[in-house]
Amino acid sequence: MSAVPSNAGLFAPLTPSMFHVLLALAGNDLHGYAILKEVELRTGGKVRLSTGTLYGIIKRLLNDGLIVELRSRPAESEDDERRRYYRLTPQGRQVAIAEAERMDEILSIARSRNLLKKPRTA
Amino acid sequence: MAAADSRATRIYRALLRLLPFDFRSEYGREMESVFQEQHREAGRRNGTTGVLRLWWETIVGIFRTAPGEHLAMFGQDAGFALRMMRKSPGFTLAAILTLGLGIGANSAIFSVVNAVLLKPLPYEHGDRLVVLDQRMGMMNQSFSVAEINDYRAQSRSLGGLVEYHNMNFILLGRSEPERVETGVVSWNYFEVFGVKPLFGRAFRPEDERPGAPAVLLLSHEYWIKSFGGDPTVVNKTFTMNDKIHTVIGVLPPVPQYPDENDVYMPTTACPFRSRPAAIANRQARMMQVFGRMKPGMSVPQAQADLSGVAANLQKAYPKDYPEANHYSVQTVSLEEQLTHNARPTMLVLLAAAGFVLLIACANVANLNLSRLLRRERELAVRAALGAGRARMFRQLLTESFLLAVIGGGLGLLFSWGALSLLVNFAARFTPRAREIHMDAVVLGFTFLVAVLTSLLSGTAPALAARETVVGTLKEGGTQSTIGRGKHRMSSLLIVAQVAASFLLLIGAGLMLRSFLRLQRVDPGFQPENVLTMQIGLDFVKYNTGDKQRAFFETLLEKIQMQSGVKSAAASMMIPFTNDMKMTGDFQIQGQATTPGQALPTADFRIVSPCYFEALHIPIFKGRGFLQSDRPGNPDVAIVNRSAASHLWGSQDPVGTRFSTDRGKNWTQVVGVVGDIKQYGLDKNAADEIYVAMAQNPMMESSLVIKTSVEPMSIARGVIELLHAIDANQPAARMRSLEQVRAESVAAPRLTSNLLGLFALQALAIAATGIGGVMALVVGQRRHEIGVRMAIGARPGEILRMILGQGMSLTLVGVALGLLGALWLTHLFEQLLFEVAASDPPTYVGVAAVLGMAALMACYVPARRAARLDPLIVLRLE
Repeated sequence: MSAVPSNAGLFAPLTPSMFHVLLALAGNDLHGYAILKEVELRTGGKVRLSTGTLYGIIKRLLNDGLIVELRSRPAESEDDERRRYYRLTPQGRQVAIAEAERMDEILSIARSRNLLKKPRTA
Repeated sequence: MAAADSRATRIYRALLRLLPFDFRSEYGREMESVFQEQHREAGRRNGTTGVLRLWWETIVGIFRTAPGEHLAMFGQDAGFALRMMRKSPGFTLAAILTLGLGIGANSAIFSVVNAVLLKPLPYEHGDRLVVLDQRMGMMNQSFSVAEINDYRAQSRSLGGLVEYHNMNFILLGRSEPERVETGVVSWNYFEVFGVKPLFGRAFRPEDERPGAPAVLLLSHEYWIKSFGGDPTVVNKTFTMNDKIHTVIGVLPPVPQYPDENDVYMPTTACPFRSRPAAIANRQARMMQVFGRMKPGMSVPQAQADLSGVAANLQKAYPKDYPEANHYSVQTVSLEEQLTHNARPTMLVLLAAAGFVLLIACANVANLNLSRLLRRERELAVRAALGAGRARMFRQLLTESFLLAVIGGGLGLLFSWGALSLLVNFAARFTPRAREIHMDAVVLGFTFLVAVLTSLLSGTAPALAARETVVGTLKEGGTQSTIGRGKHRMSSLLIVAQVAASFLLLIGAGLMLRSFLRLQRVDPGFQPENVLTMQIGLDFVKYNTGDKQRAFFETLLEKIQMQSGVKSAAASMMIPFTNDMKMTGDFQIQGQATTPGQALPTADFRIVSPCYFEALHIPIFKGRGFLQSDRPGNPDVAIVNRSAASHLWGSQDPVGTRFSTDRGKNWTQVVGVVGDIKQYGLDKNAADEIYVAMAQNPMMESSLVIKTSVEPMSIARGVIELLHAIDANQPAARMRSLEQVRAESVAAPRLTSNLLGLFALQALAIAATGIGGVMALVVGQRRHEIGVRMAIGARPGEILRMILGQGMSLTLVGVALGLLGALWLTHLFEQLLFEVAASDPPTYVGVAAVLGMAALMACYVPARRAARLDPLIVLRLE
């Protein structure tokens, strides 16, 4: 909790779709289509973002400084010039962490009320 | 496959147009590429189902995203616009005030038009209510009881037919005797109108049976005014016409038609309507008739049905409806009847308000344009920084939208403030005036007008701004060529403003001239220093002609002796009114009549001897009435000039005799008097026959008292004299005759005032507009003026040059306005009195006023130009 600066709380709670986009970018820098695919893959196809929703989210995250557009692009052979690549900013990472911790707290309450099984330790 | 792909892309692109321009230009291409990949994969993996699912998700996604994005964009633009408005408070204030006045004028007039002309009648199924009129030739006639019974029995198109007449009765049982306006109606009158009492009960059939206990319904206004809205008034009893009347209910606040009454009673309770003689006499016409058409019936169908009944009556009673009288019945929808007087005036005013708004729009557009000149650099910089053209267009439109909305709010406040004045104004034309409110429809209209205004006043500058951006960049920042295009637009706007102002001024000028003409009409008598009041006797106490005659004679005698009174008379009605109009036919002794041929008709008036003297009506031939014209002496009459020439022709009426009862009794004409404008200054004099009051005693009469002092100052003394004779006798409608005259021309006066107000508003806006634009021109031509003066131009020449430029714009505007006025004002003709819509003096006068205003507006900047010091100007440059 201490790793998260106080202003990260200003963004919470994120909408589930925004959180999914942040999570997708937490791994790698991705272009729009890749974000959609990543979200779909991670959620087993339960969350499918439409282009309208995705770019509405991207615009907000860019405005809020949670992601940036990359200037460097991949090698020309594997690039489509219409594609743009996005990266999570340190602030974006903190906001994602804050959101994950917020959810974690809610989950532990749910567990303590026996609404959820305890997580299996590996 | 490729074809399907490109089709899908095209559809997707179309879908993207739902998103704001900025969003689209930022992400559109990328979204398109993502969608293409999604589309290909969906097809590959799940075939048509997958593609359909993708489309569904995509469409939903865009529809969900678009509103938020638009709103966010508007928020950004609005924030910026507000900052800009704060930066130039002078411009902002001028624009808001101008638009506020323009929008306010429109929402005010629209609130009237909405209530009077657009809303359905406040009666249940009001569209099925009709008014019936009987006509003998061109003359309207009321209905007799026998006729009402016939129409009720024979009509097939009406589901209900009810009668109405109005009486003045004296209500006893409150602290003072009170004269109440009484509507005498069929038991189902309110049922037919679909009006249910606020509380208590409505009339029932048994209330109208002869001998039934007398009952009263109170009108909402009377209940509030006289009983302070006390609900316990129901079941209270009062004495009227020597009978106990019980209040059974109170009506809701609906417009009362045909008259504003205090109380209502069933027909059998009216002592006049229920007299056996009145019921038996088919000619005793005193009632108005209303009907409710059966569902699915139209007015023409009802008209055809009722014309059939009229034909039956003519066949059954040929003596009562001689062919020469051209008897007919007319059916008019109640809505038409209630609003036809108001329609032309209201529409003219709405059009005038519309013109004011257009002028305001043109003015704000011009203000915007001149501000743009100052903002050129800012816009160019923003363009250079990447703000798209569409974005700038939108930004400027948002600014004018905000101005218009704030102006609209201000306008609503204006019209709110003017509401009670408007209600009073509209009441001169229609009983529906009380329905005027600031309701949701008016608010919606105002908002719509504000949006339209922002488009009108914002589009021209916004379009100009697009050119500016391009121009400024091309010219590397100089202003020379940009200014020119904008000046052309600005000149056009000035010309439009002048033209519209000219139109409005012509409208107001014509109305004013017409009103002045009306004021100057000689009424045929002297209304100065005359006190009038109405006295209706208690018919129980004064139940014989002798008692009625004695009452009025004693009263007049006493008033005559009062100091300050020159002469006192009584008459069945005072000039400028027609509430007791009595029209009848008669035969002149010696003039041959053929059966079936119409007899001459005239309006009969009953007056006391001093009437002509009190009003200074000249006696041209013979004599006036004398005290000796009493029962026992021969009946006498005096005719007016119109009747003498129309009905007696070349024969001298004095000395001839006429009969109103087919020769049973004869009345001798003893004099000829001047015509008076009985029914209003704009109406022609009627053919009138005056008869002597002593020989035709009346229950109800108006006093006409000529004074040597301010007439209202003796009113109290007259009331004391009245109460000395009968303490229970009230008087009503105490007014000076000049007041009556002022009220009779109130409608045209108020209309010309309102139009005048609009025209002045337009003139002020247009003049400041011209002045502002010329000031800008001078500012921009400083260098040129400086050069001209340096090479020898004199200040006078510079002054003339600037004035000439401003005035040539004005002249073009006036010329266009003139064409518009000649084309439009004929629509206006029916509102004018003895003034042609193309009245040359009005046109010349208006052109002069407008020219002077423009000259004055141009003079200030022109003088500034003439006073420029060329050395300073050129050094600065």
